[in-house]
Amino acid sequence: MRSLLSLLLLIVPSVLVSAADYHEQLNLRPLPLSALLASFNFRANTSLADFEAHNFRLFPRSLGQILQYAGTRELHLRFTLGRWDAESWGTRPWDGTREGGTGVELWAWLDAETDEEADEKWLTLTNALSGLFCASLNFIDGTRTIRPVLSFQPEGDHPNSTLQSTRLLHGVLPHEVVCTENLTPFLKMLPCKGKAGIASLLDGHKLFDASFQSMAIDVRPICPSEGECVLQLEQTVDMVLDVDRSKRPHDNPIPRPPPGHDLICDTTKPYHQPGDACYPVDHLRGQDWTLSQIFGRTMKGTCPLTDAEVPPVCVHIPPTRDIFASEGAHEIKYSDNDSMRCYQIDQQQEFTLILTNTESTADGVAGPLGIVKPETPVLYAERSFTGHGQEHGGVQAILTNPGDDPVEFVYMESLPWFMRVYLHTLSARISASSPNVNTSSADIIKEIYYRPALDRARGTQLELLVSIPPHCTVFLTYDFEKSILRYTEYPPDANRGFDVAAAVITTLEPKVMNIRTTSLLLYLPTPDFSMPYNVIIFTSTTIALAFGGLYNILVRRMVGANEVPRAAFKDKVLGFIEKLKKKRAAVSAAAASAGGSARPAVANTEAK
Amino acid sequence: MPRLLSTALSLRRDPRLLKIPPYVSALCIVIGVVWLLLLPLDNYSRRTYVSENALLPGQVHTYFGGSEQHIFRAFRHEVDLLASKNNYEVNDKLETILTGFGVKVGRQNYTYHSAGETYSGENVYGILQAPRGDATEAIVLVAAWKSIDEQLNRNGVALVLTLARYFKRWSLWSKDIILLLPPDSTTGTQAWVDAYHDAHDSEHIAPLPLKSGALQGALAIDYPHEERYHELHIIYDGTNGQLPNLDLINSIVNIAGGQMGIETIVQQMTGHTDSYHDRLQTMLRGMLYQGLGYPTGPHSSFIPYHVDAVTLQPTGQGWHDEMAMGRVVEGSFRSLNNLLEHLHQSFFFYLLMQKNRFVSIGTYLPSAMLLAANFTIMAIFLWVKSGQPIEKGASDESKERNLLSPLALVATCHAISAIPLFVFNHLDIKTLPLAFEIFSTSSTALPAVFSLAIASLHKPSLQYFQLTKSFSLLILGVSLATLSTLNFSLAFLVGLLASPLTFLQPTNSRATRWVFVALLILTSPPVVISTAAWTSGLTMSGVLKAASLGWNVWGMYTPVVIWCVWWPAWLIGATNTLIPAFQM
Repeated sequence: MRSLLSLLLLIVPSVLVSAADYHEQLNLRPLPLSALLASFNFRANTSLADFEAHNFRLFPRSLGQILQYAGTRELHLRFTLGRWDAESWGTRPWDGTREGGTGVELWAWLDAETDEEADEKWLTLTNALSGLFCASLNFIDGTRTIRPVLSFQPEGDHPNSTLQSTRLLHGVLPHEVVCTENLTPFLKMLPCKGKAGIASLLDGHKLFDASFQSMAIDVRPICPSEGECVLQLEQTVDMVLDVDRSKRPHDNPIPRPPPGHDLICDTTKPYHQPGDACYPVDHLRGQDWTLSQIFGRTMKGTCPLTDAEVPPVCVHIPPTRDIFASEGAHEIKYSDNDSMRCYQIDQQQEFTLILTNTESTADGVAGPLGIVKPETPVLYAERSFTGHGQEHGGVQAILTNPGDDPVEFVYMESLPWFMRVYLHTLSARISASSPNVNTSSADIIKEIYYRPALDRARGTQLELLVSIPPHCTVFLTYDFEKSILRYTEYPPDANRGFDVAAAVITTLEPKVMNIRTTSLLLYLPTPDFSMPYNVIIFTSTTIALAFGGLYNILVRRMVGANEVPRAAFKDKVLGFIEKLKKKRAAVSAAAASAGGSARPAVANTEAK
Repeated sequence: MPRLLSTALSLRRDPRLLKIPPYVSALCIVIGVVWLLLLPLDNYSRRTYVSENALLPGQVHTYFGGSEQHIFRAFRHEVDLLASKNNYEVNDKLETILTGFGVKVGRQNYTYHSAGETYSGENVYGILQAPRGDATEAIVLVAAWKSIDEQLNRNGVALVLTLARYFKRWSLWSKDIILLLPPDSTTGTQAWVDAYHDAHDSEHIAPLPLKSGALQGALAIDYPHEERYHELHIIYDGTNGQLPNLDLINSIVNIAGGQMGIETIVQQMTGHTDSYHDRLQTMLRGMLYQGLGYPTGPHSSFIPYHVDAVTLQPTGQGWHDEMAMGRVVEGSFRSLNNLLEHLHQSFFFYLLMQKNRFVSIGTYLPSAMLLAANFTIMAIFLWVKSGQPIEKGASDESKERNLLSPLALVATCHAISAIPLFVFNHLDIKTLPLAFEIFSTSSTALPAVFSLAIASLHKPSLQYFQLTKSFSLLILGVSLATLSTLNFSLAFLVGLLASPLTFLQPTNSRATRWVFVALLILTSPPVVISTAAWTSGLTMSGVLKAASLGWNVWGMYTPVVIWCVWWPAWLIGATNTLIPAFQM
């Protein structure tokens, strides 16, 4: 049957490759001050029946087999580097649902009846993914795994019966440095790899030079109201490029000071003098770039497998700005959203875009920057340590609601076990400048879900349901104690400190979105690692000298040489040997005198 | 060995043994001082070396220069335009400039009260977020609006602004760069650092609106110098004599000297010839600053929080320009940026005697310890003596000690030492000089009053003298030994100044007593302080104001050591010497 099916596939590919199976899109959004958000999105659907029959086509087999083996219903994997600057860049792409905390973050719903079974499968999953993505995911052990209760909801459509028997596990590696070795397996999973389509723009040098970048892999079952259920694999790359930095040529990336005549100066300053003093105003200049400049290469056509309906490249920019596309591309404008332009691209031709600068700022007057104003986020979150010293510390999260509606959200922390949280110190305080100063801590924190840490076995899990009135800033604080690790538990770079994973904020009202704070660096009391060596040497010397001498004096009895009684045992042995010698002499003498009488004499000695 | 033991045991009873301790004490003092004087020799000091391999000082090309100079000049014009403006207007402009580069800017108000004066201002600081970083670590670049000498830090501020714009273009920063521009070199940084670590008094100091990660190092630029300079003065003394990691100083010396060809000096020792004399002078200057424990620049406030920091101050007439200074800062920041761990490899306790020569704690500590030991030896000796019968040939059993009244005197003297500590740190500047005069007079008169009072209360015996002196010296010895591990120089200086107390004793000879009294007055804390102020050309009110400021702002503990350790010991010594005559 299967061979017949594959034969059919060969004969009529165009019929079976349905349009909705795979599509990809790149969204470009210029942000203030030379920042440019590039959001790559790749989405592939495979029917659940195909998936279960091991019939992989758009779904990568390597990942599919891991998921099946580990009984994974839904998987979310994030690789993130840098931080999103919400103040200037506004709302996060995809409302923050496609990004993780710094490092690697993984959460999945696993088929398991018991917690033990879930742990076993989780171990399988993390180890397999670790190999697949060249990341240290295998270090997500019991101490870094939590079971969130409020924060995460399944994104896919699961029948209630399946959901009952699944377990959600969440693990995070804040210290993992994301780099090109993680990008390569990511690109390999795409149907066109990095060879064609928008993926051909993904260059490791540019991606990891970005001010913020997040790679996400989401696998979820989708059941449309009509039609069969599909398993959706969505791969997302969000990056905020610094246009000035990206435009530097590949062979000369050093930001040397430009020649004096290339500086953009404020000529209205009284002291302005070319070649002498120049007040820089280059930050007022708008963005201008070409696609090949910022990504270091041109886009190589489109992926042949992609849905022709979805335009592969879109730019979010005010309609007043001029963009030129390369030949063969077709610009699409939308009537409902005039600040978005998309481009249909010829499958075979190389594609590039050119954004020209607005001329209004050339005279040094601050003009409109020519970008779509970023949307104000629902919530600003910032977290830092308070206190100093090696014994106690505190965490302070500053949460600001800039909007007119109250914001309700879940604040989740996954803390390492050596950070012993004092939950009684948890408090929420509204800043004095806020309009609703009288709101008490209990009104802000509605619910607490807390699972305390066990030393060396599991970390702290803290989930808070928080509500912030409009235009208020809330300071969420708690204290903790730093535990002392065992000598061997310190990593090689113990004096660097220990990374504490980002807090995950999931807003529920007015809309669902995710925010992650930055991770933190926790200093623990660190021993001087050369000290044990010194101590060993010192104690050994002391014992050798002092103990040896004392022991000698205490135990040894000093007596005169003539007073020593002769040692009994030695005497006996010596006596015996002497006797033996005498006997032998006697016997041999006897033997010499009378030949045959030797035997009874020997027997006689033996009997004795 | 047993023979040795039995010999030692038999020696215990030897009356000659009791004659030795005073000589041992004197020997301790002599060896302690000689030890210190030997340190500058080649055999006892070591050449510095960069211990933390990650720093790689001077291994990178620095590119700051070229057209950055035009921008620097423009910013210097801007600074000049702001020279006459008030703190808030200055900060408004600085904020505009920094925000223009895409630096996040925060401001912080603070007010300190000390000696009846108010020190208030507003700090402005910017956080240049590491392009690919995650806000876990940060390094700080400080340029106070007013330099250490209260001049406009014209080049320093302009340089920091130019460097901020230049650093922004690099994507290699692994740590955030915090640009701190406090209004002055003294209180501003302290308020900021305290607030950064949440150790501030929230009534007078505002919290910081913006924060980054753990601070890994700080560099302050003190650059009011107008002409081209010749050398770079590295100021490294922190509050209470704490020092930054030696690796930081080494790296800067290495970058400035090896890469940029700029001479570096420490402790204002221009034209250091590396002779014994120059080395000793550098070391003694360093010890004096360390002993005073007074902050020497904007970097000083960072060091108590275990953030290694130095101030760079271009001095002298030469040919190096601002761009060279900028490249030194760039090179140092690149080195700090390389750090994987907090600076911990190299020494935190050292005495520098040349930019590339130092002695570490293991080598210099014995000298202060010997001075402290001299008091302890004498205290034990007096305790043993006090238990022995006075007449020779009397019965062998020990005499009973009357502890109550000696302990009462020692306790009283230490208790009243809280008075000067409180008075000098809480009075305002107008009454301070008067208070000091009154205190000096009463401090001189007090021993006489005490001795008369004691003489009238009960006839003081030799044992009474021995016990009071023993207790007093015991406290002094223990305190100084402890202090020497925290602030070696202070312990050494106090130990040296208090060393006559070991040998002063009541005497019936009038002439000897007058000699003793003269010696006592010369080494009394108030007299020493006034003499020191007079020789260094400072007014007494200036010294008292600075001391009060040190206590109220920086938490300087030098006054505690002077008033609560040294002064009571002196008071007891003086009282004992003045007790007229007693039964010998």
